Amino acid sequence: MPQIKTQDFFNASALSIKDPELRQALQRVGTGFDNARREAIDEVSAEVWEQWREAARQIKEHTIDHLDYYLELLHDNVTKNGGQVHFARDAEQANAIVADLVKSKGVKIITKGKSMVSEELSLNHVLEGLGTEVYETDLGEYIIQLADETPSHLVAPALHKTKAQVAQLFTDKLGVPYTDDIEEMARVAREVLRGKFLAADMGISGANFLVAETGSLVIITNEGNGRLCTSAPRIHVGITGMEKVIPSLHDLAVFLRLLPRSATGQRLTSYMSMVSGPRREADEDGPEEFHLVIVDNGRSKMLADPKLRESLYCIRCGACLNICPVYQKVGGHAYGWVYPGPIGAIVTPSLVGLKQAKDLPFASSLCGACREVCPVKINIPRMLLHLRQELTENSDPAVNSTPAWESILARCYTAIMNHPTLLSMGIKLLKLLQMPLAQNGRIRRVPFAPLSRWTRSRDLPALPKHSFREIWRQELSSPNQSDQ
Amino acid sequence: MGRQSGSAPTPPYLHLEETLTQLESQAQELEQRVSDNREALLSELAETAELRGWNVCRAANPEAAITYVESVVTGLKVGQVVRSAQEVFDQVPIARALQNLGINVVAIARDDQQTRDQLRNEIIASGVGITGADYAVSETGSVVVMPRLGLSRLVSLVPPVHIALVREQDVVESLDDVFLLRRLEYHRNGGDMGSYLNFITGPSRTADIEQTLVVGVHGPKEVHMVLLG
Amino acid sequence: MPSAPSPKASLYVTCVIDQLYPEVGVSVVRVLRNLGVTVDFPPSQTCCGQPLFNSGFAAQARQLARRVLLSFKDASYVVVPSGSCAAMMRVFYLDLFDNDPVMRQQANEFSSKVYEFSEFLVNVLNVTNVGARSAGAATYHPSCHLLRELGIQEEPQQLLANVDGLEMVDLPNKETCCGFGGTFSVKYPHISEGMVADKVENILSTRADTLVSCDMSCLMNIGGSLSRQQKPVNVKHLAQILDREAS
Repeated sequence: MPQIKTQDFFNASALSIKDPELRQALQRVGTGFDNARREAIDEVSAEVWEQWREAARQIKEHTIDHLDYYLELLHDNVTKNGGQVHFARDAEQANAIVADLVKSKGVKIITKGKSMVSEELSLNHVLEGLGTEVYETDLGEYIIQLADETPSHLVAPALHKTKAQVAQLFTDKLGVPYTDDIEEMARVAREVLRGKFLAADMGISGANFLVAETGSLVIITNEGNGRLCTSAPRIHVGITGMEKVIPSLHDLAVFLRLLPRSATGQRLTSYMSMVSGPRREADEDGPEEFHLVIVDNGRSKMLADPKLRESLYCIRCGACLNICPVYQKVGGHAYGWVYPGPIGAIVTPSLVGLKQAKDLPFASSLCGACREVCPVKINIPRMLLHLRQELTENSDPAVNSTPAWESILARCYTAIMNHPTLLSMGIKLLKLLQMPLAQNGRIRRVPFAPLSRWTRSRDLPALPKHSFREIWRQELSSPNQSDQ
Repeated sequence: MGRQSGSAPTPPYLHLEETLTQLESQAQELEQRVSDNREALLSELAETAELRGWNVCRAANPEAAITYVESVVTGLKVGQVVRSAQEVFDQVPIARALQNLGINVVAIARDDQQTRDQLRNEIIASGVGITGADYAVSETGSVVVMPRLGLSRLVSLVPPVHIALVREQDVVESLDDVFLLRRLEYHRNGGDMGSYLNFITGPSRTADIEQTLVVGVHGPKEVHMVLLG
Repeated sequence: MPSAPSPKASLYVTCVIDQLYPEVGVSVVRVLRNLGVTVDFPPSQTCCGQPLFNSGFAAQARQLARRVLLSFKDASYVVVPSGSCAAMMRVFYLDLFDNDPVMRQQANEFSSKVYEFSEFLVNVLNVTNVGARSAGAATYHPSCHLLRELGIQEEPQQLLANVDGLEMVDLPNKETCCGFGGTFSVKYPHISEGMVADKVENILSTRADTLVSCDMSCLMNIGGSLSRQQKPVNVKHLAQILDREAS
């Protein structure tokens, strides 16, 4: 399990928001990815896009509602194809499964395609601990592996890095002459990794989709590293969350239409690879063994809670990150764990513990843009609200995260709002208290929290002489008296 | 994972209940539709493939195709190319033409374990990989290859250039078409449709550094689609 | 022309308008009365409960929601000059009373009577031109709950387009949140400030002298930033622009 830093969100975000290079990088995300997404949608028309979204949502809803049935079907068909399925309850078990394979099969070199689930497991560290060489092969993942960092975005893991930073990294770690020419850097990566691809004993991939009907694993990629990881070594291990299954190969089409467009605006990635077991007898090449490791690691919790279940529909496109004004300000690392952005805010609490991740559901203005762009129409704001309730109202002290003063304030507020006489007394009091602070109808400074956090950069309106309800009573309640 | 076995959905999921007969009949409709719209699909394929970064050549006949392949290969100044053993090469015998130009052509023909490794080395040593297309999809501008006897996974992946020869009869319209035909194959064979399937939609690319597009990372930098007919 | 002879609107004025921007409430009443609507104001109303609900205090929010339901039980139309309060009442009251079939039924019935102000004018009264006049250039900020929870996009813009003498300028990135989010603005002030700074930058780029919105909470946020920076941009609720008697 990678180090959990979710509890540092406030401080981490306060720092990252000031980082000028990160700001530039995030601006590219906001405009670049989202503009490309909109263009891709306009090309097919909003109506068609909505039809696809609805179809995809229904498939996911159905599948997740019958998840165990489809996982069994998947298991049977992968086995029929000659593959082996391993179910892992948690990170420890998943890592043990892969480690056992490495040890028993004499694996020395591993090439790895992108897998967010493997980040949950800190798999690379475990495998390196066994003395195996592990090479991330997706360029973004390769960069952060060299930098010993974690990904900051679901689709573009190294988006927080400038080309100068990458150039320096390559020079420091690979000993190549410094160049910040992007094509040249990609060429360096190709050269370095080519040998590893062809020498690898084991290739590890993630999965975008698992097709129950045919026992297949699907990955969509652009670089070719995914194909090399799943074709060149003698063993292929696919690692994935249990929610990735879809019922039929027929269903794959709509997801292939939605995912690349939502992620980067691409109509389709350069490659879509579907693995249905190890190589067959007559194949010219391909892995002799195919292992599918299906990981739970807390997903059962989301499955069991009808209010959180739809977070399992996520196809990891990153569109919610790209549109989120909070993500655009603070970047991925501030979220403190594997999954950033709106989707991160709703899955991380279930995967690392609600109390540890208590900031994440609150770090949102609930604007709802994420829901609007989600290809499977996940109602993220509703789940954020649900998690907020959990954190506030759960009587279990292991979960409840509300400071005492906030609870008291909430109860006082409720009491006052439930008794209009208390309310008018309260307002009278506030009008007195504001007198030293109010100038020309504005309050420029309130010397205590939480309002001081507002007034440090924004004015507040001063309470006017008469409230609306007073004006109503005095002047407006009968039309004859109103100034018409 | 310690949970109870899941109960089957009621009513059962439509696409998992389709019989072989139903799939066959859908496939026949597909064939009819595709054959009725052949010309339009070829045009759409050419257009879309180009947008996706393929170099597209419409070859009126096998000779034109051979000429194109010759020009690509000689332009690249490679010493060796590798090709799959697919039907299309009977129609388009590029091997002889290239050999006449002094280029070594390795055809995939393996008969024992040792040759698997040799074949791999030949592919690594080749400057161009040439395959047919199991399907070509006009909706997406893709070529689909399914590794099996005579068609290796690496031949369209390791050499820096890939040429795909597409016959009229390989062309289908949509992703749905490909998946229907694959499902039919799967269920016809009692649950097997081969070990691997690849959609190739343009050259290899990345935008992982400052979201700047670079073409040609781990897969081929240059891809050519030759449309016969 | 109103769709029914003298329709009766019960005004839910919202805490922010009631206590901080009463002149907006006055404009709402005037605009409605000028269109022949009979307006009443159930005096037992207070907060809709949204700040509590958004902070996770669902039980407390339910107490206030019950009060609202009771205050408006005889209403035909509940008109709300705020997208976020209207969304709370129309959408989130149903979630609040998920586990209480009796209250949920009441919330359901209530929900069908709730109209945001611009929505009421355009979709119930079938009015897009209230005969208002103005001057200068204005730009419109669509508040998030109005836009996304209620799906109200065209109505305010239609009303503004028909204000004689008012030049409407399109706001760049208008659909991006202004950063208020209720307690979010003081829980994560640095993020909220970053968001409102972007919104202000976009507003200033239009060179409009007025920012219009259907939510005073957004305007309090953006206006608070504008006035701190002493920028010459006024903030006004849609009702104030439409009110023939507002200065």
